[in-house]
Amino acid sequence: MSHPTTTPSALETAHGAIPFPAYIPVTTFGARYPLDDLIRPYLPRLAPALMVSYHYAKQMKVRPELPLLIDSGGFASLFKGAKIRKQGGVGILKIPREDGGEDILTPSDVLAFQEANADVAFTLDFPIPPSMDAREAKQRLELTVLNAQWALENRRSRTLKLYACIQGLNFDGYVLCAKELVKAGFDGFAIGGLVPRVSDRKEIYRIVEAIRTIAEDRPIHVFGLGKPDLTDQLFSLGVQSVDSSSYVKLAADGRSWKQPEITLQDATPMERLQLALSNLAFAGKRNLPLSACLSLAGGN
Amino acid sequence: MLTSIEPPLLNPPQRDIVDMGMLHTGFNCVLQLPTGAGKTWLSEVAIEHALGEGFRAVYLTPLRAQAQELLERWQTRFPGVTVGAFTGDTKDAKNPVSFEESRVMVMTPERLDACTRNWRSHWNWIPQVSLLVVDEFHLLGEPNRGPRLEGAILRMRRLNPFLQVLALSATLGNRSELANWLEGIHYQNDWRPVPLTWSIRRFGKAADKPGICLDAVSACLKQGGQSLVFVVSRRRAEQLSQMLVQSGIAAGHHHAGLEKAQRQAMEQGFRKGELKVLVSTGTLEMGLNLPARQVVLYDLQRFDGWDFTSLSTNTVWQRAGRAGRRGLDPVGEAVLLAPAWDRQAERYMQGNFEPIQSGLNDAKALTEQVLAEVGSGLCRTREQLVRCLAGSLGAHQKRLPQLGPLIETMVQSGMLTEVATEEGGKVRLKATRLGRIAVRQMLAPDTVLRLATHLTREDAQSLTFLDLLLLAALTDDCEPKIPADFEELDELSAWISREPSTLLQGTQEEVLQRLGARGKSLLTALKTALVARAWTREGDADKVGEDFDCYPFEVRRLSESLERVLSAAVAILSTPPGDESDEPTPVSDEPDLLSKTKSLLGMVTHGLDEEAITLTFIQGLGGTLAKRLKEAGIPDIEELAATEPCQIARVKGISLKRARQWSGEAEGLLKERSAFSLRERDRAKPQVVSDWPKELDPYRLRRSLDLKVATQGAGWQVTGGLEPHTVCTPSQGTLTCDCLDFAKGHPCKHLMAVRRHLKDPALLKLIRTLDQYTRDGGLDLFQLWFDRGRP
Repeated sequence: MSHPTTTPSALETAHGAIPFPAYIPVTTFGARYPLDDLIRPYLPRLAPALMVSYHYAKQMKVRPELPLLIDSGGFASLFKGAKIRKQGGVGILKIPREDGGEDILTPSDVLAFQEANADVAFTLDFPIPPSMDAREAKQRLELTVLNAQWALENRRSRTLKLYACIQGLNFDGYVLCAKELVKAGFDGFAIGGLVPRVSDRKEIYRIVEAIRTIAEDRPIHVFGLGKPDLTDQLFSLGVQSVDSSSYVKLAADGRSWKQPEITLQDATPMERLQLALSNLAFAGKRNLPLSACLSLAGGN
Repeated sequence: MLTSIEPPLLNPPQRDIVDMGMLHTGFNCVLQLPTGAGKTWLSEVAIEHALGEGFRAVYLTPLRAQAQELLERWQTRFPGVTVGAFTGDTKDAKNPVSFEESRVMVMTPERLDACTRNWRSHWNWIPQVSLLVVDEFHLLGEPNRGPRLEGAILRMRRLNPFLQVLALSATLGNRSELANWLEGIHYQNDWRPVPLTWSIRRFGKAADKPGICLDAVSACLKQGGQSLVFVVSRRRAEQLSQMLVQSGIAAGHHHAGLEKAQRQAMEQGFRKGELKVLVSTGTLEMGLNLPARQVVLYDLQRFDGWDFTSLSTNTVWQRAGRAGRRGLDPVGEAVLLAPAWDRQAERYMQGNFEPIQSGLNDAKALTEQVLAEVGSGLCRTREQLVRCLAGSLGAHQKRLPQLGPLIETMVQSGMLTEVATEEGGKVRLKATRLGRIAVRQMLAPDTVLRLATHLTREDAQSLTFLDLLLLAALTDDCEPKIPADFEELDELSAWISREPSTLLQGTQEEVLQRLGARGKSLLTALKTALVARAWTREGDADKVGEDFDCYPFEVRRLSESLERVLSAAVAILSTPPGDESDEPTPVSDEPDLLSKTKSLLGMVTHGLDEEAITLTFIQGLGGTLAKRLKEAGIPDIEELAATEPCQIARVKGISLKRARQWSGEAEGLLKERSAFSLRERDRAKPQVVSDWPKELDPYRLRRSLDLKVATQGAGWQVTGGLEPHTVCTPSQGTLTCDCLDFAKGHPCKHLMAVRRHLKDPALLKLIRTLDQYTRDGGLDLFQLWFDRGRP
C-alpha cells in the first residue's frame, strides 16, 4: 500500500458525514427501474450515501435522507448518435431523442442542478473506452479537463463538495489528466472509464495507484466498479469510495454475492429486494440486524 | 422528544430479558410470561429502542379496547411521538392520525393484513418499521383470525426484511417451534407477581352451580377481594350477575353484546371497586388490565357454533391469569366449577398448554391468503407461491394443504386466471375481477363466489332486499351471526312470511338446495337477515335489538359487516371499466339489481328504509341528513320536492340555499323515478309452516320418541336418556317429572313420553303432524331446527 496516510477518514457534507471507505449504491428515480423504488427506503440502513446520475436525479421528487452524490450524466456520450462539441470554452453533449429532437447537456446545467440538490458533485466528463480512436480520445480528455476547471471556477455553493473527473485512453492518458487537475483546488477526484477495462485488473490497479500518488491527500472515488473483491483491492490501494449498481443488477437476475452458486429463477419483487439488500450489505460490509441476516440469507 | 423510560424495579423475567439483551439483539423473540408479569413494559423498552434508532414500531393487539387503552397510555409515555390507533373503529377515534404520521402504530391484526395486501399504498411507512410487537401471539392458532395474522406477519417480514418480531403470550404449548419458525429466540418464565392457587369445586347437577359460585365469591369478598367470573354465554353472564345482585352482591356483567360505553362503565366500576364481582364471557380473557383476587371459571365448556366443547388449557390459563392484584392480594385464586363426574378438570391445573397450530391447514383460509398474495402482486406464479408459503407457520408445521389442486380450484371457480406471458410462454397467475374484489374488501374468496353465483343468475333481477341480505348473511364474512332460539321459530316464521322473497320460494328441499345451506346455520342466516332488514326499516338498534332478542351493539356490528359484503355485491354487479355499452339503458319502473343493491347498501349503512334512501339520490345529501329529514317528516324524495325550502331548512345542518337546491333537484329526479320505485310490491312471499301449537315443544316431542316408559308404582319410570327419571301424578291428571327441565317450567320430554305411552290422542295427532312436516312444501323452520347435519 503506497497511498499516503493523510487521506481523510470521512467526507463531511450538509447531510452528514460519509465515512471512508465507502461503498455507495446507485439508485434511480422514475419509472424505468421499479426495483429501485423498493430498495431506496432501506438504503439509509445499509449505505453511507447515494449516487444518482444527473438524468435520473432530475426525476427525483423526494430527496432521500442521505448524503447525495450526483454525477454529470456524461456517460450518455457513449450512446448511439451522441455528439460532443466544444462551445464557449467547455465541452457540451448533444443526445438524440427518440422523437427526433435532442437534449443538450452543458457544464452549466449540470452544476446548477448539482448545487441545488447534491452534497457531492462530479464534473461533466466524457468517458473514453479503450477501443476509441486517439483523435476523439484526445478531444474527450481535453474537454473533460476544461469542464472540470470551469466547474471549479463557477461553483457558488460553499457546502457542495466538487470532485473532478479523470478520464484517459490508457495509463498515460489518466496520469496526464490527473496531473492537469491536481493543480486546482478540487475536493476530490473521481476516476471514470474503468468499467470497460475490468477484465484487466492489473491495469486498473496501476492507474489507481498512480492517481493515488498524484492526488496526494485528497479523496479518490472510482465510478461503476462494485464487485466486492475488486472494491476491497481498490480500497486497499487508497481509494476512498466507489459506486455501483451491481448489487441490484445481480438481484434482478436472482443472484447473490453471498451464495454465488444459487440463482433464484423468476424471483418475486420482494425476493429481488431481499437479494439486493443482502448484496449491498455484503459489499458494504455492513452488519444487518440478526433477524434480517437470517431472512436475507434464507431468501424466503 | 423521547424521554427514556424510567426502569421500574425489575421483576425476575424482566431482569433476565434485559440482562440478556434479548430485545436489542435484533433477533426475533418469542416471550412467554404469565399475565401481569410485565410484558407491556418490555414492549415499551423495545419500542423506545426502535424510536431511538429513528424507526417506527407497530404493536398488534386483537382487541380494539386495548388499542385505545394503549394509545392513551403511550401518548403520555412517549411525549412528542405521534401514536396512532388503527382498529377500524374510526367512528369513535378520538385522535385520528394517518399511518404516515404515526411513529408508533397500534393495530388489530386485520388492519395490518389490509396494509400488507395494499402494500404499495403503505410504502411510505412500511420500510421504516423496525419492530413488530405481536401481543396475544397465541391468536395465531384461532381458526378465524389466526390465518389473517399469519398472512400479515408473512407478508410484513418479506416487505420489510429488517423487521424484528417480538411475540408475546402467556400460553404457548410450542414456544420453541414458533421461535424456530420466526428464526428467532425464545424465553419463558412462570414467575407471577402474585402467586396463583387453584381449586376445583364439584357440582352434582347444573342447578347447583349458582350456589357454589355464590359461596366461592362470598368467601373472597369477605376477605376484601374482588371476583371475575367467566361464563359460557352472554345470557348466562346477565342471569348470574342478576342472581348475585339479588343475593346482595355488587355485581355487573360484561360481554361483546354490550355497547362500548356500557362495557367501559362496567370496567370502570370494577376498577374503582364499586362492583365487587364482574361476570363476563371471554371478552375479558385477553388484553385489558383488569385483575381481581379471584377468578371463577363457572363454565369449563364453550359453544363452538354447533356443540359444546371443553375449554382449552390455554383459555383456562388466559382467564385464570387475571387472578391476583399486584400489591393488593397475597395470592390469586383460580376456582374451577366442574361436574362431579369430570376427572379431566385437574389437567387444567398442570398448565400443559396446547401447541399453537397454523390455521392455514384449512383450504378456505389458505385460498384467501393465496388470493391476497396474487392480488397484491407479491406472487405471480405457482413456484413463487410455493416459495412464499414455505415461510408460513403452516409449512413449518407441515400442515399446508396441497397448493396445486387448490390453485386449480381457484382457477376453475374464477378467482384466479392463468395467462401466458410473451417472454418464453411463462404462465402467470392473475387475480380475476372477482378475486380483486375479495382482496380489496378483505373478504373470503368463498363470500365473493357465493355472491357472484347468485347475482349473475338469469333470474337474479327478481332478488328482493331480504334475498340480498340473506345471501350476505350466509357468508362467512357476515358477523355477528344472530342465532335463533327455538322459542322464537313461530315468530320468525311469521316475519319471513311477510317478506317478499324469491330465494325462499318452493319446497323446503328446493330452498335448501338453492341456498346451499341447511339446519341451524340457515336458521341463523334467516334471523340475521331479518334483523338487518328490520334495521333498515327502523334505523334504531335498540328497538331492533328488543324486537329480535339481540343486543343493539350486535345490530350495529352487523350493519358494519354487511356494508363490506354488500359493497362487494355492488362491485360484482358494476360494469367493469372498458366494458360499458353504448346501448341506452331501457327505461323501467323497476330498479335494476345494481341500483337495488346500491340502495340496500345505503339502507344498511345508515339504517334507512327504501323510501328514505331515495333522499340520498340527490347529490350531496348523505345518509345522516336523510335520517334527519325522515325524522322531520320528510320521508322520501317526493315529500322533499313537495316541501317548502324554508321548512326543509329547519332541519339541522341544512341551509336555505341547500334546501332550495335540493328541492329543485328532487323535482327533477321525480320525472325519472318515483319515490316508491324501490318498494317491493306484488312480490311472492314464502310459504312458511308455522301452525305448531305453542304449548307443546316439537323439539322435546321428537326426543321423547326415543324414550322407554315402564310403570313404576303409582307413576312411570322413563329411561333412554342420560339418566332415568320418574313421572308421577300428584294431583288430578297433572303429570310431574323429577328432571331439571321440568323444574324450570318446561313440559319435558319424559312427560311427553308418558303421554304417548298413555296414548293421549292430542299428542298422537301432533306426532303424526311432526312427520308430515318433512313431506309438505314450504319452508319449515322447525325442520331446520331438527336438522342434525353439521353446517
